[in-house]
Amino acid sequence: MVNQGGGGPVAVAQIPTSFGHELRACLRCRLVKTYDQFRESGCENCPFFQMEDDHERVVDCTTPNFTGLISVMDPTRSWAARWLRIGKFAPGCYTLAVSEALNPDLQNICEEEHVPYVPPKRV
Amino acid sequence: MPRRRDDYEDDVEEDDEYDGVDEEDDEADGYDDGGKVKRKRTTSDFIYDEAEEDEDEEEDDDDEDYGGGGGARRRGGGKRHKGASNFFDLEAQVDSDEEEEEEEGDDDFIDPGADIPDEDDRRMHRRPLLPREDEQEDVEEIERRIQERYARSLNVEYDDEATDVEQQALLPSVRDPKLWMVKCAIGREREVAVCLMQKCIDRGPELQIRSAVALDHLKNFIYIEADKEAHVKEAIKGMRNIFTGKIMLVPIKEMTDVLSVESKAIDISRDTWVRLKIGTYKGDLAKVVDVDNVRQRATVKVIPRVDLQALSNKLEGREVPKKKAFTPPARFMNIDEARELHIRVERRRDPATGDYFEKIEGMMFKDGFLYKNVSLKSLSTQNVQPTFDELEKFRQPGETGDGDMSSLSTLFANRKKGHFMKGDRVIVVKGDLRNLKGWVEKVEEDTVHIKPNEKGLPKTLAISDKDLCKYFEPGNHVKVVSGATEGATGMVVSVEGHVVNLVSDTTKELIRVFADNVVESSEVTSGVTKIGDYELHDLVVLDDNSFGVIIRVESEAFQVLKGVPERPDVALARLREIKYKVDKKIFAKDRFKNTLSVKDVVKILDGPCRGKQGPVEHIYKGVLFIYDRHHLEHAGFICVKSDSCMMVGGSRANGERNGNSLTSKFSHLRTPPRVPPSPMRPPRGGHGGHNNFGGRGGGRGHDALIGATVKIRLGHYKGCKGRVKDVKGSTVRIELESQMKVVAVDRSHISDNVNVTPSRETSRYGMGSETPMHPSRTPLHPYMTPMRDSGVTPYHDGMRTPMRDRAWNPYTPMSPPRDNWEDGNPGSWATSPQYQPGSPPSRAYEAPTPGSGWTNTPSNNYNEAGTPRDSGSAYANAPSPYLPSTPGGQPPMTPSSAYLPGTPGGQPMTPGSGGLDMMSPVVGADSEGPWFLPDILVNVRRPGDDTTPGVIREVLPDGSSKIALGSSGNGDVVTVLPNEIEVVPPRKLDKIKIMGGAHRGATGKLIGIDGTDGIVKVDDTLDVKILDMVSLAKLVQA
Repeated sequence: MVNQGGGGPVAVAQIPTSFGHELRACLRCRLVKTYDQFRESGCENCPFFQMEDDHERVVDCTTPNFTGLISVMDPTRSWAARWLRIGKFAPGCYTLAVSEALNPDLQNICEEEHVPYVPPKRV
Repeated sequence: MPRRRDDYEDDVEEDDEYDGVDEEDDEADGYDDGGKVKRKRTTSDFIYDEAEEDEDEEEDDDDEDYGGGGGARRRGGGKRHKGASNFFDLEAQVDSDEEEEEEEGDDDFIDPGADIPDEDDRRMHRRPLLPREDEQEDVEEIERRIQERYARSLNVEYDDEATDVEQQALLPSVRDPKLWMVKCAIGREREVAVCLMQKCIDRGPELQIRSAVALDHLKNFIYIEADKEAHVKEAIKGMRNIFTGKIMLVPIKEMTDVLSVESKAIDISRDTWVRLKIGTYKGDLAKVVDVDNVRQRATVKVIPRVDLQALSNKLEGREVPKKKAFTPPARFMNIDEARELHIRVERRRDPATGDYFEKIEGMMFKDGFLYKNVSLKSLSTQNVQPTFDELEKFRQPGETGDGDMSSLSTLFANRKKGHFMKGDRVIVVKGDLRNLKGWVEKVEEDTVHIKPNEKGLPKTLAISDKDLCKYFEPGNHVKVVSGATEGATGMVVSVEGHVVNLVSDTTKELIRVFADNVVESSEVTSGVTKIGDYELHDLVVLDDNSFGVIIRVESEAFQVLKGVPERPDVALARLREIKYKVDKKIFAKDRFKNTLSVKDVVKILDGPCRGKQGPVEHIYKGVLFIYDRHHLEHAGFICVKSDSCMMVGGSRANGERNGNSLTSKFSHLRTPPRVPPSPMRPPRGGHGGHNNFGGRGGGRGHDALIGATVKIRLGHYKGCKGRVKDVKGSTVRIELESQMKVVAVDRSHISDNVNVTPSRETSRYGMGSETPMHPSRTPLHPYMTPMRDSGVTPYHDGMRTPMRDRAWNPYTPMSPPRDNWEDGNPGSWATSPQYQPGSPPSRAYEAPTPGSGWTNTPSNNYNEAGTPRDSGSAYANAPSPYLPSTPGGQPPMTPSSAYLPGTPGGQPMTPGSGGLDMMSPVVGADSEGPWFLPDILVNVRRPGDDTTPGVIREVLPDGSSKIALGSSGNGDVVTVLPNEIEVVPPRKLDKIKIMGGAHRGATGKLIGIDGTDGIVKVDDTLDVKILDMVSLAKLVQA
């Protein structure tokens, strides 16, 4: 599921190694990890951002401003995951909402990769 | 149950289907079989054991499978397609929600545990399972198809996700897992959720929870998604920060609420208003100047809170107080001032912006502001809501109105959804149409359609909501919907730009708010008047042991007018800063030692609020809080020392006051009223003391102290109480209560406001027992009451002749008040000098119990008068209301309620206010008791005789009355002592005569009775008065 449609094994995304301020959330899939984790291994759901190759990308693709945290153990069968539209991502820790949108360039990447991107709804 | 059975049959079928494929896995794990078998058995006894075994095995297989061991997974891949294919073949016909079903298809094959909520669906699909062989042949084909489908679905999803309708389809159903609320350690919510995740990874599929949710706004709890409570319990077992006590199920309806969080829409950017969360500037408004998102820091500008003097001390190595006792007030930095203090100021250019900063001790200043680099986390962006005052302050010195445009726009960015509503009157604040006014017609996401006020414009204009501001006109009645004064309503009195000034309905205060925070409303509310246990106008003690009255309740704090009489001091106190509320009944003394209690009307004699007057609302530690509705500040509350006030017409002081005023009126015959208070105090024990004491009393000032119970307030005997034996010059000899000796004390060392209780008792007691007149005290008392009255009456009547008055005045409690009232100008007497000094005598009687003062006063007067006939009876009656033994006498005779100590009823009616309102006569009556008058119907009771009605014909100077017996006064005329007379209370519509108060002697008609008050229409004036029933007597015209 990680490799969308690739039929590969369901790998669990990295779990944040701390709970403090260094947590960041991927702006597309809302996966939550520490800054270092993103820098070292990128985002499991959004490999096309290639954060691990370009560290500047981490800052662009992730945000420290997010609200709430949900650990999804079983995305496919979790109602919460489905409701939050993260049912198809790898198991892992996600946030309920991020407060920023991807910048247009990165949105274009999503489009090229045929992956959905939903900007956060402003309240 | 039959349905259940079906399910299991299904499972059995599945088992068959999987068995062949997953043998390897079967062997690999059977670790949990035992337990599960057991569980299953309990629920489905009717199923063949075999089948159960199979099922369990299968379930475990699948779990393992899902958990993702490498080999198992590969094999699972094959299986997956098979499982899914069953499903897909049918799915198109069955359900239109492709993706969801697809997902579930996956689920099923992965873990077809018996507990899956969508069993029904599954069963439906599975029923017509095809023979296994066929499927296996198709594996490749199916795989291809799935991939196709998957890819397609992703694209479809692209469009769908955005729509709310689609989201609706995801609403939880009974088949979905449930959310359970679990208590965890505060502040560990995220950690717990992450730990659960880790645990699930470590433990594999044995933990059957689906997800764990930690909300930022919900402390102390996390949610766990699982099918069964047991799963939750299993998962949280052994977790350090989870309290396993109670697991609460979230109702299905509320499940979506749990997950719908408002994303923090406001990101910190330039010009955003923020508040600092920590440090010296905690709570201060700041404006973001620059943001470094990578380092998570921002530069903000705040109004500095720098204590230059302290800084200079530090720099010059002078002693520096270790702990900062206070936070310096926020004010703009004045560089020159700093230089004057020899603080080094560097001028630096910021390489990034090119701006120049003044650098002092590592702090950067510009234009008076401090530029501070802070962590983004230490800024709060939510609900910043700068108040008008803050923004006003923040405006740079010299900057003019237009400068706040940017701040306004950031304010607007902060607005909630649905800020504008149809019908709102708005004004355009930006762009070409600036200052165009109109009404909101329609609101879309970010666009507001307004109907412009001007002619010649299109019917409606679409304008961005950021460019609009609400608009009000003077006279609008509005409600504040956000900010510190939220909830208050009031009338708009003026509009300055985007600031609306309104007068609050409750506090009558002027409130300045942004037009944006206000809606038009006809509602009249007080706003919040209560937080926690504390309400507006409560007297509270704060945690620094200061106290004050809550004069305003804001959304999260109280404004408290502190109990500092010197100057009005208003503090803002949060709920937690309030220790407790003071409810006690506390008394205080006014300047003339009148006892003040709550609701007494007082006049302020000095200080800034001199001349104001109003009822006392609270008393605490000798400080009064007076409510004057003409006082416009502090919600009408004035804080004063009790001794800078004067009770207006202090009820208890009346007698004295009158006496005094009379004194002065009548040629100052008497000792000037500055006579010390105690002279009239009856001696302790009352051993014949009255007369002595009385005899000496009035005339000779010093001696008047003799016999009084005093307290020594200074010197060796400080704190001791005693009775004054002798006065010589400035020395007083006092017989101590506690020690058997007489000591000499300086006169200035004694205080006379001794608690009066003992003396009151004494006097009462003494009189009762010792007066020979009372054969047996108790039963007689009732009858005695009148006696005193009658005894007095003559003087009283006599009062009318000046001579008499003069002679008697100090002892006649009665007439003087009348005189005063008749002046009709309480103000004047209140302030008249003759009067003021007068009060001291009353002191002794002004003791805590309202009753005592009263009762004693007349008695003393008697004593002094030396009335031979004495007193005994008079005393007896006067206090009689308090005598438990004489209840019988009270109703008709005693001015009942007003006298009763502690009865609140009597107090508000203080005679002082008397002159001011119609209640006063009543009170007057109270103070005097019913003095008999001719032509009233009474009952005559003589010991041994029955009660006979009679009509008073004449009241003799000695207090006794000539009474014509018979209810119409036709019978014999007898002379009766006052204590044998009882006034017959009039009934409704009776003709009455008023025995007390300003209208004494007047006749009228009782047109109604309200409790202890009678409503009387006075014959002469045709006025309607409310008078105490006690002062009314039935009139019998001869």
